[in-house]
Amino acid sequence: MAEYDLSKTIIPYLDRHLSFPLLAHLVETGVFSADEVQVAQYELAKGTNMFDYAASLFEQIYPNQEVPKEFEQKRVNAVSTHERLQQEAQAVLDVIENPDVAQALRQDKNQNLQYLKDNYKLTLDQITALYNFGKFQYSYGNYSGAADYLYHFRVLSTDPDLTISAHWGKLASDILTGKWDIALEELNSLREAIDSRSPAPFASVSSNTNNTPAVDPALSQLHSRTWLVHWSLFVYFNHPQGRALLLETFLSPTYLNTIQTSCPWILRYVAAAAIISSPTPTSKSTAAPQSSRVKNAVREVVKVIQMENYQYTDPVTSFLMQLHVEFDFEAAQKELQQAEKVVSDDFFLGDFHDEFLESARCLVSEAYCRIHQRIDIGCVLTHSAFPFLDIRRYSDLSNRLNLPRDEGEKWIVNLIRETRMGQDAKIDLEKNLIQILRPPQPVYQSVIEKTRGLAIRTQTLGAAIARTGVAQAASTASAPPSITQPVAVN
Amino acid sequence: MSRFFRQAGDSDSDSDESEELMSSGDEAPQAKPPTGAKTAMSRFLRKTGPGADSDSSSDSDSDSDEDSDSDSDVPKPKKGLPLRSDSEDSETEEEEDRQGIRIMSAQEKRLAEMEGTGKAMENALKINDWVSISNEFDKLARMIQRQHNVSEPIPPFYIKTLLSLESSLTSAIAKEKEAKKKMNATNAKALNSMKQKVRKAAKEYEQDIAKYQADPDTFERDYTALITRDAPPAPTVARAAIGTAAVTNEDEDGGFKPVGKGGRTMLLTAEGIFKSLQAVQEARGKKNTDRGEQIRILEKLLELATTTYQRIRVLLALVSSRFDYNSSASSHMPTELWISAQNEVDQLVAIVASNPAFIVQEITEDYDDLVERSPASEKGGIVRIRGSIISFIDRLDDEFTRSLQNIDPHGTEYVDRLKDEKTLYSTICRAQAFYEQTKQDDPLSRVVMRRLEHIYSKPDAVVDALESSAESADIKPAITLTSSGSTSALIHSLCVYLYKSGNSLHRTRAMLSHIYHYALLNDFHTARDMLLMSHLQESIHSADVATQILYNRTVVQLGLCAFRSGLIKEAQATLQDIFTTQRVKELLAQGVHQQRYQVLTPEQEKAEKQRQLPFHMHINTELLEAAFLVSSMLVEIPLLASIDSEELKRKAISKPFRRLLDFADRQVFTGPPESTRDHIMQASKALQDGEWEKCRDLVQSIKIWSLMPEAASVKEMLAKRIQEQGLRTYLFTYAPHYNTLSLSLLAQTFSLPLRSVTSIVSKMIWNEELAASLDQAGGCIAFHRTEVTRQQQLALIIAEKVNSMAEQNEKALDAKMGTSGGWGDRADGKAGEKRGEQVQERRGRGDRTRGGSRGGGRGRGARFAQGLGNQMGHTSQRAG
Repeated sequence: MAEYDLSKTIIPYLDRHLSFPLLAHLVETGVFSADEVQVAQYELAKGTNMFDYAASLFEQIYPNQEVPKEFEQKRVNAVSTHERLQQEAQAVLDVIENPDVAQALRQDKNQNLQYLKDNYKLTLDQITALYNFGKFQYSYGNYSGAADYLYHFRVLSTDPDLTISAHWGKLASDILTGKWDIALEELNSLREAIDSRSPAPFASVSSNTNNTPAVDPALSQLHSRTWLVHWSLFVYFNHPQGRALLLETFLSPTYLNTIQTSCPWILRYVAAAAIISSPTPTSKSTAAPQSSRVKNAVREVVKVIQMENYQYTDPVTSFLMQLHVEFDFEAAQKELQQAEKVVSDDFFLGDFHDEFLESARCLVSEAYCRIHQRIDIGCVLTHSAFPFLDIRRYSDLSNRLNLPRDEGEKWIVNLIRETRMGQDAKIDLEKNLIQILRPPQPVYQSVIEKTRGLAIRTQTLGAAIARTGVAQAASTASAPPSITQPVAVN
Repeated sequence: MSRFFRQAGDSDSDSDESEELMSSGDEAPQAKPPTGAKTAMSRFLRKTGPGADSDSSSDSDSDSDEDSDSDSDVPKPKKGLPLRSDSEDSETEEEEDRQGIRIMSAQEKRLAEMEGTGKAMENALKINDWVSISNEFDKLARMIQRQHNVSEPIPPFYIKTLLSLESSLTSAIAKEKEAKKKMNATNAKALNSMKQKVRKAAKEYEQDIAKYQADPDTFERDYTALITRDAPPAPTVARAAIGTAAVTNEDEDGGFKPVGKGGRTMLLTAEGIFKSLQAVQEARGKKNTDRGEQIRILEKLLELATTTYQRIRVLLALVSSRFDYNSSASSHMPTELWISAQNEVDQLVAIVASNPAFIVQEITEDYDDLVERSPASEKGGIVRIRGSIISFIDRLDDEFTRSLQNIDPHGTEYVDRLKDEKTLYSTICRAQAFYEQTKQDDPLSRVVMRRLEHIYSKPDAVVDALESSAESADIKPAITLTSSGSTSALIHSLCVYLYKSGNSLHRTRAMLSHIYHYALLNDFHTARDMLLMSHLQESIHSADVATQILYNRTVVQLGLCAFRSGLIKEAQATLQDIFTTQRVKELLAQGVHQQRYQVLTPEQEKAEKQRQLPFHMHINTELLEAAFLVSSMLVEIPLLASIDSEELKRKAISKPFRRLLDFADRQVFTGPPESTRDHIMQASKALQDGEWEKCRDLVQSIKIWSLMPEAASVKEMLAKRIQEQGLRTYLFTYAPHYNTLSLSLLAQTFSLPLRSVTSIVSKMIWNEELAASLDQAGGCIAFHRTEVTRQQQLALIIAEKVNSMAEQNEKALDAKMGTSGGWGDRADGKAGEKRGEQVQERRGRGDRTRGGSRGGGRGRGARFAQGLGNQMGHTSQRAG
């Protein structure tokens, strides 16, 4: 399964520290030999300030060799740096933790800065010390401490570059400490920062792309987005609401473009998330209402996968392809078997193995039912876990589903009851068939469907026209007195 | 004529000359013809003169030479006799005696000509024919002008004629006044114009005339002295003179060459070269300059040039005069000239590349053209010379293209000419290497662009050939085929260089060429992504015509690429745009479009012609059309079959195809197909009838496919597509007639595997194109056809119409808000602000609506709110 392992592709887009969990996971799955992975871990750790960890890794890899001296030396250095930075940062922290100060701080950063400067003689350099200390703490693995300092720094600092950097640092710390709610917040604010930071220069540059300097803002935005996409995987696949949010984010045009342009392999996660969050008979439909984007996720994802087929395929995406583009159920079944392995080995998707399988089965059965009228139950079984099963080959079904006989039947009945198909499907045990009765939609029904929204739409329209008239009258009346800045109507 | 004097005053004049040379080297040469500055020139010219003349008699390619030849036939010195003053008689006689054996020097020839003209004038004067006098005088003036050009002194004869003309003019006018209406109108007119001309000429040569009038003899003597001095040393002339007439031609060469060489070695001062260079440059662009003559002069000069500086200067002048040779913009440069120009550019590049101390620049500080310069004498040890190698390269390339445009592409000449591309390409590569070496970014990117344009549309084999010639050159550019490994890598690196360079035009063109190349390699996805990411389609309308043509070519090639890779839909969509215009040839610059109602001005037509691509770059339009029509057929026919209401039928995907199909439908008789279109139309009909085999055979028998690379696989792909689409069409068309239909039968009929039949049918069911479902147990399709009554049908239609009305209303409001918003903003900020709030509010309301009305109204509300703010966003959202 090594060929489908994405760790190698993903790691370049991650922070050094974020890569450790991935490597640790690789050791567990055993896709690669443990020794190699350990060497990789060691190499990774060497670049950080986590000397103890690096040293222990070294011992594991080369049991008979002595741990290099440089670690000791570096540790001494690090300790001294730590002390120095802590002192610097402490000064600021003392001031900030003063309740008076906390009250006096406002939204406006410049004003805050002025206030601190006037009353407590805090300079910008001192505030930057917070950043440095936070960064240092992060580098030796004290993530929660780092998160604290970076948070304070971000509140105070006005330097846009460092603020963004602090954002990233905070996000990484939150991810590594496993505080998913906070991380999600952080992720969203970072996303906003990235999205909002660049448009202005981007627009001006796109008009005259001829004389751009070395770094194109559009390009750097693309880079940041690519990184964000990768980092957010940690959050989205751990937060309870994560999958839906992932679909919301990644299927929005900007991020979809990012994925298509720079990292098509993320499509695996998008596809998996779409499959997982598609409704299944076992997941009660009482769950939180989903947005239309999530609802139609599978369809959209299929479209994208089809478009990017030439760039990236793996079992998960080709499962969807076979199912919804080629309608080749046998091939889909094969791909599903592959995909199952891929998912269980994947760092992010591993936990969702069961859900994935369940949802995938549902997808298959739904598609199958919609197309077929009479289904030989035996045949269904060979394809996948279908709702309408032939009892003749019951044992076969059980094998396929890995379900005991009784449960298999229950599962099928559940499916019939719960699938959104809503159609009348009946098991004919005598003939080993499932009959799906699909009464054609009556004409009056479709007429009602078509005209349903019209009244409301017309009302809104009328209201809008009335308002326009009033507003225009009002605006012409009150036009002269103050000439304010024109507001562009979006 | 001047033999006598020459022999007499030989030694004198020689010493005179040298003195004069020293004393008046820098004086303005034109003002005073008989000064020393001229003599050097004239002397030189005298040397080259005979050679040139003998050349021209064999070539006879320049008009003026022919002129002079024919002229010189008329004025035999015998006829010129009466013109002479008595004192000269003896010499003329002497000269006349020698006529047979002596070869007149060019100068003498000219003089004789002039005298002949004078004679004719005199004759005309006698009969008072002012028209012919006027003509003759013009001729004379031209000769004098030429005399000027070769910097010879004005012969006294001219002055004399001028004077006599003046006097006879005054008398004629006086006579005219006395005897009224004696002259006819044209004659009188000629007389008047003559008067003006003579006055003008007299004014021009005022000084000389004054001198002459003061003392005619001295003047004449001065002149002859000048002439004689230039004459070759006596002995050789004697030898030549003694030689018989039979050996004229060879003797002329044999006789004069050694002299010439002797003279040259004597004259090989730097100054001599620069002065003649200057003379050539001054004559450049003037009306009566003989360009061929100039080129010959410069060629000789090039042989003479010794120092690098001289060589560069002469080469610069020579190449530009070669380009000047053809003045008209429509015709192309003769191939021989082009080849020698190309050689010289090579030389120039080689010289400049091997001598870093010499730099050719477009803008330099002023320097004295007449002084030899060397690195040692210059500031900073670098000699900067005015000139532009890059413009030579550009011109060379343009001329090459132009010649290809003008040569008949079906002849062998075209192929021969095309072979020169190899050398041209290597010249371009050398220039690139040179600019890389000297790190001149701007010309470098131009050269790289030229290079790219030569290879981007060519298959690998051709690029290999071109590159191998460049490879063998002594100086090589950094990017070569061997260094990059493959053609596409080469093109990639060239393009990347251009992307990084500052020029946006080059970037655009490089991008398009790059995309074109990918398309040529059947790499559809990369090409498409690049085209989309470049956002060129938004800005291409403001680009120059050549770039637009390149863009069209690229898009078309992309469409063909999609077709070749079996992406029928994409091919159809890509080619659609260009075919709906019905001006494919014009848009690809492969032919001039005949407009029925609009006549092009000659300038427009000329410009259009100049834009045409040379034949070997053409994309075959017939092949293109075949690809487009076949892909249209595959898209359109199933669609046609699937819709049953007349109204929907009008919405065609591909208008051109639909038009052709309708036309084919109307025809009463259909014979066996001949043209590509016929084939495709009949194939379409067969496909409509479900006869996929016939359709396949018809499509595959189109001959033009053979022009497509990998024709066999394309045909195979087409057959497969036809099977699939045939199945779809069949199902659409005949579904109403079946209740169930066996899958295996379908598979058999369309010879498709059962699996793909199932897949196709499933897809159709899933997309709700087909009201049916599969009966998996029975292995068949069950159709659920619902018959709607008339009333139900009408109800459905009215529901539809009401819907669209509501939509129209919304759109109307959107439009109104949009435009009024724009105006309001401009007119008055306050209004705009108000509206901003309003939109906010409405958006809020929209949300509420959305919340309130689950189901049908839900999507609408949101869409509406967004639509009010921004129509573009709304459309894109709907599309996406």
